[in-house]
Amino acid sequence: MGVSKGDEVLVNEIKAGNTMAFEAMVLKYQPKLMSSLIAYTKSPDQAEELCQKTFIRVWQKIDSFRGDSALFSWIYRIGINMAKNDFASSFSKSSKITDSLDQNEHDVPQYLSPETELIAMESENKIMEFIQTLDTEIKTAFTLREIDGRTYDEIAQILQCPIGTVRSRIFRARQLILEFMNQENILNG
Amino acid sequence: MDKDLEKLSALYDGELSSKEIQESLAEMNADASLKETFHKFGLISALVQRHSEQKTPKVLFLKDYLSKINPLMSNFVTAAATVMITLIILYQFDEDRFQVDRDSSLQLSSALSSDQAKNQLLNADQNIMEHMIHIMQSNQSHNSQQVSKNWIPVGFSVNPNNPNQYSNGRNNLFFHLENKQLGIKKVKYFKANNNWIYLIPLQDGRLLTAYGDVPPSVADPMIQSIYQRK
Repeated sequence: MGVSKGDEVLVNEIKAGNTMAFEAMVLKYQPKLMSSLIAYTKSPDQAEELCQKTFIRVWQKIDSFRGDSALFSWIYRIGINMAKNDFASSFSKSSKITDSLDQNEHDVPQYLSPETELIAMESENKIMEFIQTLDTEIKTAFTLREIDGRTYDEIAQILQCPIGTVRSRIFRARQLILEFMNQENILNG
Repeated sequence: MDKDLEKLSALYDGELSSKEIQESLAEMNADASLKETFHKFGLISALVQRHSEQKTPKVLFLKDYLSKINPLMSNFVTAAATVMITLIILYQFDEDRFQVDRDSSLQLSSALSSDQAKNQLLNADQNIMEHMIHIMQSNQSHNSQQVSKNWIPVGFSVNPNNPNQYSNGRNNLFFHLENKQLGIKKVKYFKANNNWIYLIPLQDGRLLTAYGDVPPSVADPMIQSIYQRK
């Protein structure tokens, strides 16, 4: 499975110098990367630093991304290599993020602190329980997208409904989950 | 407003046209609340997917499914389940020199905890995992291209009921050949219980997957002969 069509466009925009496209990529994949790095390092602070380093490296190396793998797989590999290097170098010296910046440095946007994301992890069961209460049609479309990674077209075929309906159901699921999170005061950081 | 957010949701899923993506990015650039919402879509995804990985390992469902359609294959699903949890990439062959590359960025140490190993593999090698599961799921050889007889290890003969299954009387070996390489540049192999899965990228852009209870001592000469004869 190579890069998805949407990510391919995003990458091309980044390669063309569209900084908003880079920011969108960070916004999209930062939570997943943070989650993986926290699991790997067991340290939210270290994970946050590695996350920033990773996206800086992604910005520097984006021209080398050929689309052979999914975009997140590529980002993840960079992140894990960073973590390994960080782990190895921690024996000899403590390093800071600024040590690795070069002339291609790029600011990585941060919207939610790792602490906030940890709160989100603690609220995971509550959110998952809420998802179970969603209308079946909405829940099915959302689950096929988020867990099975199906495209809208595939979901439309499975559910035998127009793509526009799939798009609105998935959005409705996200909208309801966000409303629930606001009600429960989750992620208001 | 909902229409904008619905478009943002489709942008998150990569389901907009190139032109729409550029428009949406410009809108995001001008509206911080859209950026925040976009990021929260990412948080929801991370939460749901993390929960899914923890609570619903799909390989368990796969095992149930496969045991119904082909009991023989269920042995390999047991292997796959093990792979999903504790897979250790032992080492890689260099495509040209066949030397052991112990510095591979994907090499995992057995010292890693199972959680770490699982996390790495579920993410870093997701494509590879899905490929292996897909092949096991495909059951028969109908979706595999025909493999060259020159690739078959000495002493192995074809199963008359399955042209891609070979046996030497003690060991079984399945082949699957298709037009993709998953970004694999070197031969990789995986061990799970008594089974081995070999991913062999061919120079013509195809990927040969071989799996069975065939250890590297048997597979190594097979792999080298495949490269020599390509």
